[in-house]
Amino acid sequence: MSLMNKSKRSRTNRAALLSAVFTLLLAGCASDVNPRVATRPNNDAALTGDLPVNPLQWKVITSAIDKQNSTMYTLFGNDVAVQYARTHAQHDYPAGSTLSLVTWSQQEDPRWFGGNIPSAPKSVEFVAVALGPDKKPTYVYQEFEGSPLKKTSSQESTAPDGRSAYLVNQRAAVMP
Amino acid sequence: MAKPPLRSSVTFLIILGVLFLGMQFLRPELTNPPVKADLQAPPEVKQILRNSCYNCHSNETRLPWYDKVVPAYWIVTSDVTTARQHLNFSELGSLPPAAQKAKLYEAVNQIQLGAMPLPAYTKVHPEATVTEAQLKVLRDYLAPASLTTPAETATANEQYGKWLPNGTNLTQTHLSPNGVPFLPDYKNWKAISSTDRFDNHTMREILGNDIAIKAIAENHINPWPDGTVLAKVTWFQQPDDKGFVHAGAFQQVELMERDSRKYAATGNWGYGRWRGTELKPYGNDAKFDAECVGCHTPVKKNDYVYTMPIAGQGKGQSQ
Ligand code: HEC
Repeated sequence: MSLMNKSKRSRTNRAALLSAVFTLLLAGCASDVNPRVATRPNNDAALTGDLPVNPLQWKVITSAIDKQNSTMYTLFGNDVAVQYARTHAQHDYPAGSTLSLVTWSQQEDPRWFGGNIPSAPKSVEFVAVALGPDKKPTYVYQEFEGSPLKKTSSQESTAPDGRSAYLVNQRAAVMP
Repeated sequence: MAKPPLRSSVTFLIILGVLFLGMQFLRPELTNPPVKADLQAPPEVKQILRNSCYNCHSNETRLPWYDKVVPAYWIVTSDVTTARQHLNFSELGSLPPAAQKAKLYEAVNQIQLGAMPLPAYTKVHPEATVTEAQLKVLRDYLAPASLTTPAETATANEQYGKWLPNGTNLTQTHLSPNGVPFLPDYKNWKAISSTDRFDNHTMREILGNDIAIKAIAENHINPWPDGTVLAKVTWFQQPDDKGFVHAGAFQQVELMERDSRKYAATGNWGYGRWRGTELKPYGNDAKFDAECVGCHTPVKKNDYVYTMPIAGQGKGQSQ
């Protein structure tokens, strides 16, 4: 707002200025929610793309942070997998188990300096355990990457290897 | 015999004046007790706190003359008394360095969220407002997050070994001292966010019951519906040799249960915290939750909830 030349300032100008100030004050009162506090979901972290299932519908098994790359992941499991993980120190998940590891890049929590929260998802991995024709377990591994998430890898093996082994070997976080 | 109006209003003013002067003698005592252990921090950090916070949060209160005039004096005295109870920089110096920093993290957050200095105070004392540049100085002092100290792996392992055989069958019904019930099913709720708390070397999963998940899916999260329960599960950060930090020993679980009748006195939320695998209820008496409410008040306009739930809840099938 440009300031008016003092000599030219007429009564009308002054009235306009006053009402402008008044409006500003009112606006100030109406919109005094700090932007950090304003209600909103974390849209950045939503899992968008063509995932076969939404792992956020499952239960938490454990989580971890990669400090160097500023990412964080949560390992989810369906009911069969969670039931097993929370009662067994071994890693021989029964058929019907599916694990999903969701990795997010991190962002500073706008509402808590001292905390990082999920930002855009980097990848979503799945390991599904099924019984093969020979009654031996097979491990179907799938990875989805990018935004929106797209399938970038799919493998099947009779023993967990590489990433599927990484997922299967995680230990459940203690939740009494 | 009515008095002339002029004389009565003069009398009225005189009475007011006398009352005003008389009121000045009603002065609650506001002393500055000796400073025993002032906060330990670099001078540029302390300078900012001195300028913006010390009038209320220290034993070095220096009131300008206009704050010494009743009734302003009454408001300020009561603010200072309460403020010192919540946070007194003149006493922090005796705490371990990490605990002093924890207080500073809370201070930065109160500033960032616009809760401190009290907005009513900065209206009258604009010079106490913390500028963006000053806020940066405070953040930079805290920011180089000290690397995670290797937590005791043994503790985490022992805890896991004891929990595994009987963990999920545990039916604890401990009440929090304020009456908030422990809900053992929290571990089966859905995740709505997670946090990496580098300020205190913990990591958390935030879980929500079905009412919470439905509220997120329908975007009804301010206010959250009654019946919402949010759980925050906290573990100590456990670094491995590959630069990853895993969920280590379980520290605590906290619940926020929304009930606008039962918990009207604490902003419609009931707060509870259970520590360790024995789930010991936190707090000495029913009033312990003043601490919870105090910390959540800066996000009052977001129905007292800090967590930003991850969008897309309720989308996609679960099997
Ligand atoms: C006018 C006095 C006043 C000033 C100035 C002031 N505060 Fe406060 N502060 C209070 C009062 C009163 C409380 C108690 C809680 C309440 O009433 O909201 C409080 C509470 C707090 C709390 C604790 C919140 C809790 O958990 O209960 C923190 C942290 C805090 N203030 C930080 C600051 C910082 C940092 C500054 C300076 C930037 C500051 N305050 C300046 C009056 C003040």
